Amino acid sequence: MTTTPTAAPRALPAARRAGMRRPWAATALFIGPAVLYFGFFTIYPLLSSFYYAFHTIAPAGGRLVTTYVGLDNFKALLADPIFFLAVRNSLTWGVVGPAIELVTAATLAFLIYYRVPLHRFYRVAWFTPILVSGVIIGLVFRWIFNYDWGLVNAGLRAVGLDNLALNWLGRRDTPLGVVIFVHYWATFGFTFVLLLAGLSAIPGELEEAAQIDGASRWRVIWHVLLPLLRPTIVTALILSFIGKMNAFNVVWALTNGGPLHFSETVATYIQKRAFGWTTFDLGYPSAMAVAWFGVVVIGIGLINRRLRSRVEY
Amino acid sequence: MSAPQSVPRVRAYRRPANWPARLRLSLLTAGLLVFTSLVIIPFVWMILMSLRTTGEILSNPYGLPQAPRWENYVRLFFDPGIRFYRYFYNSLFVTFFALCLVGALATLAGYGFGRPRYNFRFRGWLFALLLFGLILPPQIMYIPQFTLMARYGLLNSRWALVLLYAALGLPVSTYLMATYFSQLPAELEDAARIDGCTDLRMFWQIMLPLARPALATVLLVNSLSFWNELLLSVTMVNNPELRTLPAAMFNFVGENAADYAMGATSLVAAMLPLLILYLILSERFIEGMTAGALKG
Repeated sequence: MTTTPTAAPRALPAARRAGMRRPWAATALFIGPAVLYFGFFTIYPLLSSFYYAFHTIAPAGGRLVTTYVGLDNFKALLADPIFFLAVRNSLTWGVVGPAIELVTAATLAFLIYYRVPLHRFYRVAWFTPILVSGVIIGLVFRWIFNYDWGLVNAGLRAVGLDNLALNWLGRRDTPLGVVIFVHYWATFGFTFVLLLAGLSAIPGELEEAAQIDGASRWRVIWHVLLPLLRPTIVTALILSFIGKMNAFNVVWALTNGGPLHFSETVATYIQKRAFGWTTFDLGYPSAMAVAWFGVVVIGIGLINRRLRSRVEY
Repeated sequence: MSAPQSVPRVRAYRRPANWPARLRLSLLTAGLLVFTSLVIIPFVWMILMSLRTTGEILSNPYGLPQAPRWENYVRLFFDPGIRFYRYFYNSLFVTFFALCLVGALATLAGYGFGRPRYNFRFRGWLFALLLFGLILPPQIMYIPQFTLMARYGLLNSRWALVLLYAALGLPVSTYLMATYFSQLPAELEDAARIDGCTDLRMFWQIMLPLARPALATVLLVNSLSFWNELLLSVTMVNNPELRTLPAAMFNFVGENAADYAMGATSLVAAMLPLLILYLILSERFIEGMTAGALKG
């Protein structure tokens, strides 16, 4: 999209041309604080997670004691049925969620791109959920899916579909679906806005040329706009995938992984094992986080490899 | 910003001429309005509930308020048993100081990364490392962040959240500032330098005033994520007095809260500041968040 500053021209800096020396002090002053800050609060904890993953870190005698355990944490992970349930839920979500989001958001983006009546209103309205904390959304939807008086069941009963009025958050087969739906509700507006911005950045001449050649609107969308939109679609897909894999707020507030871990995700399970349960050990959840980080990186790589087109326009 | 404009260029929209086309358009509009109402109804329902009593809600969850009870909000904030203003204050405190910190760090770094004058051998490499932070899941960092805060006695303190939120927002903020600074013309620098202007004065008196719009975008985008953050908030802060809004929500809604009116009031009160800001600045919000994400 935009030019990255790293790709700045290789020409000699202005300082050289003016016959001055490299401004090392100024450079350190500008870049230094952020780099040190990032190193201390982000990179150092990131590397520590890998270190923790091979240790047991539990309180003993009033302080945290770190013991090396080799691969024990990872072996325990492979024998943990809740972890497998969480992985299955997260992966299901990571495939289904972004797919639904991309298809609907792209449809909506094209409608707004072609300026259906009220398009300004739609655009602002659809983006609104992005502003609201996942906690608030989760709690509101806990009411909306309430068995006795929630909006969904009240609506179903009002139109006579009483047998469809399920206990959405209390069964074993529906909570994950509800989580996927609610998170979709909370984030589709963002994907939509990304795709719309991508569409708007496509030069209009290409579309006009196709129209002059007599192409119908569908053919323009399919053969001109969609291929040109491809890089944005891949970006949106990756962001959506990362969003689902890290999602914590909505699940925590809506189902808290329940009932009986049927909507547990890796993110909520890590939090429970690290700080929620009485099994206070920071090594095991770190191993989980490391393993999961690997999965997320592989997922991003796959999306990038398979979908990033090799043709540049 | 050179971010793609999110409003499409003027595209000739013709009124449909014949009646089948008009019918199609009406059906499409009806469908879109139904879809949009699915987005809006939860908000409307919350606001209506927040203006009723729990008794009214229990007898009919979907009625209109008999008489709007604005005193719900007064009670929420100042009732000695609830004192919601504490959480509001905590969230404001954390968001404000984290914004100051990340704004300062990112503006400096954005200038250093964005201008060719400050290029050096590993700058591109460092910048890429910083951008790597954009895809890092919080789960891979927050357990060591917890022990880090424990080591310096910052657990159960608002400053722990200030420090960690600033770290959270640093990559995207630096990226936005660097992109902006890299687009300012080099003549600015050359002219000022001939006049004997130092690097610092250059930054402070010429570049910083020019970068105000980008800084505004950075603050807006970050305020959103700081105000709504939950994972770090529940992990670092246990003390009920110091909870931020998202973490405090569970006091009012959930298994152990039966006062639905207060629950709805607290939810609306927590999201209201950002919603009002959005009503005023919706375009800036949308464009800022798009620019932060579309790094291509």
